[in-house]
Amino acid sequence: MFYFRYLRSELVGRRTRTVLTLVGLALGVALVITISGLARGLDRAQKTALNPLSAIGTDLTVTLSPQQDTGGFGRGGGGEVVQANQSAVTDLSKLGKPGTQFVHDFFLPGTQLTFPQKQTAKIASLPGVASISNGLVLSAVHQEGVVPKIVAKIKAGGQQLDIRRQIKPPTAAEAAAIQACFQKLGVGVGGGPQSGTQPGGQQGFGGGRGAGGGGGFFSSPAARKCLPARMREFRARITTPQQTLKQVVSPPQTNIKSSSYTIGGIDPAQQSIGLVTPSQLSRGRFFSKSGGHEALVSAAYAKRKSLKLGSTLDLNGTRFKIIGLVSPPLGGQTADVYIPLAQLQKLASQKGLANVVLVRATSSSDVAKVQMEIEQALGSGAQVASAKQVAASINGSLVDAANLSHDLGLVLAIIAAVAAFLVAALLTLSSIGKRVREIGTLKALGWSQRLVVRQVLGECLATGIAGGLVGVVLGVLAAAAIGAFGPSLSASSTTGAAGANDVLGLGQALARTASTSVSLTAPLSLSLLLFGFALALAGGLIAGGAGALRAARLRPADALRQME
Amino acid sequence: MTGDLLYDVRDATRSFRRGDATINALGGIDLAIEHGEIVALVGPSGSGKTTLLQLLGALDRPTSGQVFFEGRDLNTLGDNELADLRLRAFGFVFQTFNLIPTLNALQNVEAKLAPTGVPEDELRARSLALLEEVGLSDRADHLPSQLSGGEQQRVAIARALSTEPRVVLADEPTGNLDSRTGTEVVDLLTSLSEERRHTVILVTHDAEIAEKAHRSVRMQDGRLLEPTLA
Repeated sequence: MFYFRYLRSELVGRRTRTVLTLVGLALGVALVITISGLARGLDRAQKTALNPLSAIGTDLTVTLSPQQDTGGFGRGGGGEVVQANQSAVTDLSKLGKPGTQFVHDFFLPGTQLTFPQKQTAKIASLPGVASISNGLVLSAVHQEGVVPKIVAKIKAGGQQLDIRRQIKPPTAAEAAAIQACFQKLGVGVGGGPQSGTQPGGQQGFGGGRGAGGGGGFFSSPAARKCLPARMREFRARITTPQQTLKQVVSPPQTNIKSSSYTIGGIDPAQQSIGLVTPSQLSRGRFFSKSGGHEALVSAAYAKRKSLKLGSTLDLNGTRFKIIGLVSPPLGGQTADVYIPLAQLQKLASQKGLANVVLVRATSSSDVAKVQMEIEQALGSGAQVASAKQVAASINGSLVDAANLSHDLGLVLAIIAAVAAFLVAALLTLSSIGKRVREIGTLKALGWSQRLVVRQVLGECLATGIAGGLVGVVLGVLAAAAIGAFGPSLSASSTTGAAGANDVLGLGQALARTASTSVSLTAPLSLSLLLFGFALALAGGLIAGGAGALRAARLRPADALRQME
Repeated sequence: MTGDLLYDVRDATRSFRRGDATINALGGIDLAIEHGEIVALVGPSGSGKTTLLQLLGALDRPTSGQVFFEGRDLNTLGDNELADLRLRAFGFVFQTFNLIPTLNALQNVEAKLAPTGVPEDELRARSLALLEEVGLSDRADHLPSQLSGGEQQRVAIARALSTEPRVVLADEPTGNLDSRTGTEVVDLLTSLSEERRHTVILVTHDAEIAEKAHRSVRMQDGRLLEPTLA
């Protein structure tokens, strides 16, 4: 077919112009696709990260914060907070035998006061409340180290004691008994007891008969048998002199490392509402309904602490197996580690206590009403936050970007679309403008207006399709590139009663900041790609049609007169 | 004047607006041309030769007056009828050749023949035959930019003749050629047309070229110098 050959020759022959038009169209299409994709990506990121409560099936969160005034059921001031947090005192003596390695976790309720779980039944019974779930979110301090051994070296002993003492001589009765005893044994004792000590005697005290000169009288068997007990051995009570030993004892050597994290207790029986629900699970599985010694760890904390599925966490001797990684929603009641509520209550000695109640209303239109009811029922100490309020407390680049996308995303997409359309139209018009003389020639050759327009439209269609396709490919690549290397948008939210913290000077230690980062992506859809493609085609065809018609309607003489 | 006349031009004028000024390119032309004539329109530049040729070739319409072609007033025909007339009855040769730059020699010939709806194989065969007649069968696949001026004009002649027109209209066909090539091209054009009994209307300011015509019509300032009727 001649017209196709002509079309091909025209596109191939005017390569520079064709490529320019193609690139222009492709860039326009790619721009529309990328910007629209980005706007969608931001929208999606915003929906997941910035609407945290709905992700966990919750409309309202109820917490109890210490009040500075004395109203409500808080006792006023920060007394409760100090009391609640004083278990942070580390008693080394209770951690084990000196020298042993210890690991200990302290669980502190932070600035959210705990309340008996039983009380929350009051909330559940309010009209408009569909379901509630109790949670316990605690700040935990993890300490590990060695129980210090205190050793003091004290030198003692080595004193010499000299004892001198007169032994009382035997009485007359004793002397007679001794005498008799010796005689009986056949050992003569010269003289009486008085002369007994005189060495001149045949059998004197000075030398035993059988024992030899140096043997001593007292040690002879006869003497042992015959002398009274008092004389056989010498007894005396000696009191050594009192003295005080002074020595500086070195401080105990130990390193105690402490790190803090947050831990949340959730009711595993309720899977549709809770601090985290199965929908936040990024890997692994959720708690079984019965609970058990299992833990879920936030993906960020797992990364920081190199924890993996199947690793175990040792919390004061109880081992918890990590069964899943979660991406907890922002908005206050987040934690790094989640374990079943009952387990946490036991560990933290908070039996029967919770510090956050998640509430789902029966219908979204009731939320405001339910919020008021809860506030009235619990008094001023209770803080009831709606999803909207929680979302408002989130800040970070993601929020900025989301606001931007809200305000500008559509406008940008429209601008890009108009730009793509105009680029297509202008490029087509300019290429037709340069061909007016050629169109005049065709008309002089006898081409009808219809034929000329058809030919130009054919070229526009071909360029439009090619440019659109290249643009779609570029757009897809750009979106993929954004997904792969795109900026990470972060969102964070801080909880904790700032006022109370300031008063108490507890500062940031008790305020928890949770943050999440969402990698920016530009999700595409077939309709978006088709839209971008159609836009380029329409721009080219409309402009091509209009331009060609205008040129073809010129009298050939006028068209031929146009400068090349 | 009889209906046998090919052309009957009656008091045709053509004026252009240039801003506020009106330029009268043609001022009251009366001209008759018969079948098979070779007519040279001669005159200095700006005398209105090309404007008259464009009226005769239905590339333009007169501001006033009438142009009868084969007894039909061209003013009464619509754009599509004029286009059909240009396709089947006229063949144009331009000073600047006006070949489509992206088409090769053969395709340039086909560009005129294709709208008549001839079958694809006939289109090619007839176009090749014409190129052979103008001595360019070995250049069929050359682009205009690869051909010399004389060769380009010969392609243009082949193109003009492709639909077997009744009239060949040539606007300074030698204007961009050296004199030898110009003479060759005009000889080719006139001989081929005479063979086919085509009428040829030739605009030129070259007296030597004009001599090859059966008759010359002289023009100056938009008027014919010596109204000649055959």
